Amino acid sequence: MNDLTPFLAIDNLTVEYPLAGGRKVHAVTDFTAHVRRGETLGLVGESGCGKSSAARAVMQLPRPTGGQVTLDGQALTGLRGQALQKARRRFQMIFQDPIASLNPRMTVREIVSAPLDIAGIGTRAERDERVAAMLEKVGLNADQAMERRPHEFSGGQCQRISIARALVLEPDLLVCDEAVSALDVSVQAQVLNLLETLKRDLGLTMLFISHDLAVVKHVSDRVAVMYLGRLCELADAETIYTAPRHPYTRTLLSAVPEPDPDAPPRAVSMVPGELPSPVNPPSGCPFRTRCPRASDTCAATMPPLEEMAPGQFVACHHPHDGAGISA
Amino acid sequence: MAEIVLDVRNQKTSFVTGRGMLAAVDGVSFTLERGKTLGVVGESGSGKSVLSRSIMRLLPGNALVPADSRVVLNGKDLTRLDEGALRRLRGPEMAIVFQDPMTSLNPVLTIGKQIMEVLTFHLGMPKRAARVRAVELLKAVGLPQPDVRVDQYPHQLSGGMRQRVAIAIAIACDPDLLIADEPTTALDVTVQAEILDLLQRMVRERNMAMILITHDMGVVAGRCDEVAVMYAGRIVEQAPVRDLFRNTRMPYTAALLSSIPRVTDPPHRRLDAIEGRPPDLINPPPGCPFAPRCKLADAACDAGVPPLEGPGRHRYACIRPLGQEAAA
Repeated sequence: MNDLTPFLAIDNLTVEYPLAGGRKVHAVTDFTAHVRRGETLGLVGESGCGKSSAARAVMQLPRPTGGQVTLDGQALTGLRGQALQKARRRFQMIFQDPIASLNPRMTVREIVSAPLDIAGIGTRAERDERVAAMLEKVGLNADQAMERRPHEFSGGQCQRISIARALVLEPDLLVCDEAVSALDVSVQAQVLNLLETLKRDLGLTMLFISHDLAVVKHVSDRVAVMYLGRLCELADAETIYTAPRHPYTRTLLSAVPEPDPDAPPRAVSMVPGELPSPVNPPSGCPFRTRCPRASDTCAATMPPLEEMAPGQFVACHHPHDGAGISA
Repeated sequence: MAEIVLDVRNQKTSFVTGRGMLAAVDGVSFTLERGKTLGVVGESGSGKSVLSRSIMRLLPGNALVPADSRVVLNGKDLTRLDEGALRRLRGPEMAIVFQDPMTSLNPVLTIGKQIMEVLTFHLGMPKRAARVRAVELLKAVGLPQPDVRVDQYPHQLSGGMRQRVAIAIAIACDPDLLIADEPTTALDVTVQAEILDLLQRMVRERNMAMILITHDMGVVAGRCDEVAVMYAGRIVEQAPVRDLFRNTRMPYTAALLSSIPRVTDPPHRRLDAIEGRPPDLINPPPGCPFAPRCKLADAACDAGVPPLEGPGRHRYACIRPLGQEAAA
């Protein structure tokens, strides 16, 4: 799929969480996606679709139940102990809650320096120099910020500190899990612009997880849509938004409220009901219980992921023909 | 002349904090007619939620409201009423739906009991009739299997279903004013569309007035008659919804609109971020609160807080408004 030599290869990823009584939460099932070097893959879906579980499995936090994660030819899923810790320098993560993800007792210098300390890089002076340079790069005044603690900063500034901490080891892969979801739009725009700049300047490969389709479109080269642990559709960002083929992708897009009073009202085409439980997902296609196009085939077998147009992969027995969504 | 349900005049709400007085709502005035929906948009700390609680008179003990602030609902000045009188109004005349239905519902009572409580307290309904009415209300808000759900507890329902229950409680006594404070912020986007549709239908069917509070410009664009934009505790622009989007006057509104990522944008479009951050409400700037971040601001903007004025129903608090050439 995609590329012969992907930089990040996620193959047949499965994440399950055990429950009492031998039951399991099927958080991610057989998820495959390949990311090229320097590319941003957006991962979208609603709560419970498995996007955060997939991101954490890529980080080996915790290790997935099944499947392979390969970064630049190195199988991360096979690494243990010291070898994994060493490999972690190459992939780092930023989280949703900018305040909860920073230790309130530590100074910004200690927070951003921690990855360098753990990796045992440089002398103290060299580390401070790198921390200061990184803080400047994320738009903070290093002289003013270094000795202060997280509570003295706004949410947007805390997220900048998180980004500095994630990037101070100069990783190749940055995983952003709802990294701008807790921020106000004006601040969110600042952080999104910063991520775009850093990605370009540092040549980062990114996995960008969000429930917000508009945010994902702004940062992604390609987008993967998930529902109930499964990949529904994967295509380049423009195609996903203008010519989606999976009924769920179309449903999701039609539900986004547009900030335009003249935007035509769009009916959300979904069978009324609730999201099925990931403990007991429907047979066949997981979306079939809410899908207006579902048939008996959908209950019988999970549709395979097929390339229906160049670069557009869809897992659906009854896909749309790719006509424009707003027309 | 349409019937005015709510008349808010110079509402000011401050909180006593360790650092000093924080002016969360700083002189807000507006009126709302029956059958109309007013959207209130703002970022965190803009005062939109404190405004909704100020109207409902649901403020914590450290809140201070000066004597000249007025909230007039159906001709009654709520600022002059005692807690008992207010309680009798909450339900039949005004009701609120909060952001998080998990914390606004009582976890140890069945949802049926929580609806019946309202019906027996306000309408004096006997238990039996209240239960029948509770099932009808759950049906009206689109809860599947209402006769089964009525005996369930909040934790047995999904987030979207819980918000439907919260709406059922809010409309149980046919209020004249419904305040929905970020009613869909905790919900997924497909569920959000369903809940907003439901609120809109309730307003229409019951001819209520609604205040829809949100941080999302997309939510107000399709669902409101008028929109008020709040910044640093004040309304900085208010207009009929099309005017606000098409004929934006206040630079803050314009900056907010252009900082929103849109699904219709091409990928990787650089967003027009607003640099800086909102002012400290304990030590607000002397002039326009947005002036320190405003690209159009000059020395005159720091001289004093501009009043919310304008032609007709389009009002804005700005001495350097956009589109002035066109208006002249």
